[in-house]
Amino acid sequence: MKFSKTALLLAFAAATAVLVSPHPLNAQDKTVDAPELLHPSADSWPIYHGDYSGKRHSPLTQITPQNVHRLGLAWAFQTDQGASIKSTPIVANGILYFTVPDNVWAVDVRSGHRIWHYQYHPNKGLHIGQRGVSIYRDWLYFLTPDAHLISLNAKDGSVRWDVVVADVTKGYWTTMSPMIIGNHVIVGVSGDFDNLTGFLRSVDAETGKTQWQWNATPPVGTPDSTTGGMTWMTGTYDPELNMLYWGTGNPTPVLNGKPRPGLDPYTCSIVALNPDTGKLVWSFSASPHDTHDWDAVETPVLVDRDFHGQPRKMLMQTSRNGYFYVLDRTNGKSLLSTTFGPVNWSLGLDNQGRPIPNTEKEPAPDGRLIAPDEGGLTNYRSPSFDPKTGLFVVDARPSYGIYFAKPADGTFGWAGADYGVWSKGVIEAIDYHTGKIRWKHEVGQHGSGAGVLTTDSGVTFTGDADGNILALSTADGKTLWHAGTGSPMQSSPISIEIDGRQYVITGSGGVLFAWALPDAAGESAATTRQGN
Amino acid sequence: MKKSGNFVWLAMAAGMFVVLSAPVSGYAAQAAQTGETLYKNNCSMCHGDSMEGNPPAIPSLVGVTQRLSSQQITDRVHHGGGAMPAFTQLTDAQIAEIQRYLASSAPPSAPAAPAAPAAPPASPAPSTDSAALVQAGSSLFQQNCSFCHGRDAGGGETGPDLTRSKLVASDSGGDKISQVVRNGRPDKGMPSFNFSDQDLAGLVAFIHSQAAKASAQQGSRRGVDVSDLQTGNVEAGKAYFNGAGKCSTCHSPTGDLAGVASRYEGLHLEEQMLYPHDAKSKVTVTLPSGQTVTGTLAYLDEFTVGLRDSTGTYRSWSIPTVKYSVDAPVEAHADQLSKYTDDDIHNLMAYLQTLR
Repeated sequence: MKFSKTALLLAFAAATAVLVSPHPLNAQDKTVDAPELLHPSADSWPIYHGDYSGKRHSPLTQITPQNVHRLGLAWAFQTDQGASIKSTPIVANGILYFTVPDNVWAVDVRSGHRIWHYQYHPNKGLHIGQRGVSIYRDWLYFLTPDAHLISLNAKDGSVRWDVVVADVTKGYWTTMSPMIIGNHVIVGVSGDFDNLTGFLRSVDAETGKTQWQWNATPPVGTPDSTTGGMTWMTGTYDPELNMLYWGTGNPTPVLNGKPRPGLDPYTCSIVALNPDTGKLVWSFSASPHDTHDWDAVETPVLVDRDFHGQPRKMLMQTSRNGYFYVLDRTNGKSLLSTTFGPVNWSLGLDNQGRPIPNTEKEPAPDGRLIAPDEGGLTNYRSPSFDPKTGLFVVDARPSYGIYFAKPADGTFGWAGADYGVWSKGVIEAIDYHTGKIRWKHEVGQHGSGAGVLTTDSGVTFTGDADGNILALSTADGKTLWHAGTGSPMQSSPISIEIDGRQYVITGSGGVLFAWALPDAAGESAATTRQGN
Repeated sequence: MKKSGNFVWLAMAAGMFVVLSAPVSGYAAQAAQTGETLYKNNCSMCHGDSMEGNPPAIPSLVGVTQRLSSQQITDRVHHGGGAMPAFTQLTDAQIAEIQRYLASSAPPSAPAAPAAPAAPPASPAPSTDSAALVQAGSSLFQQNCSFCHGRDAGGGETGPDLTRSKLVASDSGGDKISQVVRNGRPDKGMPSFNFSDQDLAGLVAFIHSQAAKASAQQGSRRGVDVSDLQTGNVEAGKAYFNGAGKCSTCHSPTGDLAGVASRYEGLHLEEQMLYPHDAKSKVTVTLPSGQTVTGTLAYLDEFTVGLRDSTGTYRSWSIPTVKYSVDAPVEAHADQLSKYTDDDIHNLMAYLQTLR
């Protein structure tokens, strides 16, 4: 590229102006390590869930229920790829990083223009989705369809190192956004078309060397034992207890439970681990002896407040099998287990608050009608906990499916077949004390697939099945604003504030959108002119 | 693949020139030339200029005259089948000429396996080497069978999964498979094939190797056979249809459901029964003027309602500006989902399957 002398001079002048400006527009050199990850600043969204708690609640208040109707497009970024955006962007130092399988982009949050693009080589891993990168100091961590963990230089997207996490030829793949705790890069794996051991691994942030590995299930071939328990969603972390919380996936064979009698630990479970050693502290089986592919990997949301008058350190999950769980996260004991939509496969709860599966509802040769279907009453897109109202807001999907399995389907991988029959999307606000649903907002046939973000001003951002971005009132679920994007959101919104302007960022199809108030844009432009 | 008209004409002209100038005399040359022209005008757009087809979607015709009888080919061309249209305009004489052209391409022995790196060349002599046999069988299978049975023998749109077939499981050295291949199953739409013993041995070896592979390693989703869905009781299903299920409120076995089991079968029928996704809803929109517009619901979210009127024209309105009401009889299917027992579903399936 060649610059004219004038352009260079102008660029130099602009840079000088910024340097001498008495009010720096943002802290350009903030180091993303423990302090920032423990207490993210308003201009950053440095980890998958925004912070370690998984609440997906933004403290920002510029966009309010009163002014949100004036929200407009600040910019849109085209990936020019066929893959849907399923990632949550992270933002640090004014730069946004997001992904689709095999691709990472660094984008300037102010303008939406591309800073760099990294493309991984063609590979045979399953390209089902990519949920985002994570950052530690100047380095990004990115998982590929063929189960490699790659460390990229956040400045230019160049590769620092590349380590193999799991063997793609055995049927593993990876999609998740790694979790950073101290110098641990914690990565999980996917792969339930084969009978494989699920595991969580901690890798040294600097060298890529393995620090520890926790296996969810025993080695393949252990008699009367399950395989599976994949770890494909980012967990949460309590720094006070120094406990890492993670959800595990379904057992394998998936639809045939006969070769794996009993609870099938630690599949479809919420587990608490020590992040320094990988040792299990406690576990809770969300779907004991699952035969319906209901991974319990949905966000384990950490909430500290009263539960029926007593202060508690809680963990809440709306699980794919249709149950809403509130646990005491110090010990994994159940505080509340209840359904949040149609569920027809259990006989009630046992004395530990776990559902008792009805054996009549296991997949059968002539079929069983099951609620919810394989996609679940919710799935990987994030719910949000709103501290002001105490509401747990989730994109629910009431659904029915038919499940089949017969001896000829064998005992390997799926080992059966299932088909969705009917479904719809409903945004639900759950009272965590009782599980009662305070309000519902229907979002269309087959479900929307959008995650949820609540903000401190009382606005809930999500999407519907037809591709509208929605802003709802967190208090009552009423629609405040919408914009059609042409494709339903398959990811979860985030919000950050830069140069005094609050942005809400959403992805639909292959396009990333940044929304902001026009007034804030005017103020921002004025600031820039002053600077010049 | 798309070709310009000019290119096709040039290619044809070149072909004709070659044929005309070849040292072949009399009627045979003319017939072959006409057969080739007929092939190019009617068949080559799908089966390819060299009869190579595009398996599994479109079968190869290389050597087809050795596998199918003249009558079978004539019938297939006249009546079509699968994705192939019927060529009713072609006379028997013309089809005979096409067949002569097809025969001119027939290889002297089994077609060689596609050139895969490190694959041993297919031996022209009867082979006892099992890997080579499977390889040769694979090639034949892709050309002749995968159109219906899928590229991996795991079943396709019109042919069953051979890897889980009871017949394949009970076959020993081709004793059962050969019979079916040679005689066909005319009642089920499978043609008979005249393969040589050597070709058949390859096919049998390939099918068995696929079945072994499937039982050992295939972890992907499996299927549902029509025979799986026969556990219900017809009388109980009929009683549910007319009673607790309230199906008869909207449906009639002699009206809209007459012959439904001939239109759908197996899983497809069950899915249609539980929730017919293509069912249309009616919508009536009342405009501020008081005028009403009625049509088929085409779009509805919180903000916009769209319909297609009786002329097929799409119209839409912003919801705050109009009143609308949707008549969606299909919602009764969704309401029923929480009421069915699994027996109700199996019985209802048994009853619906009598409506042929």
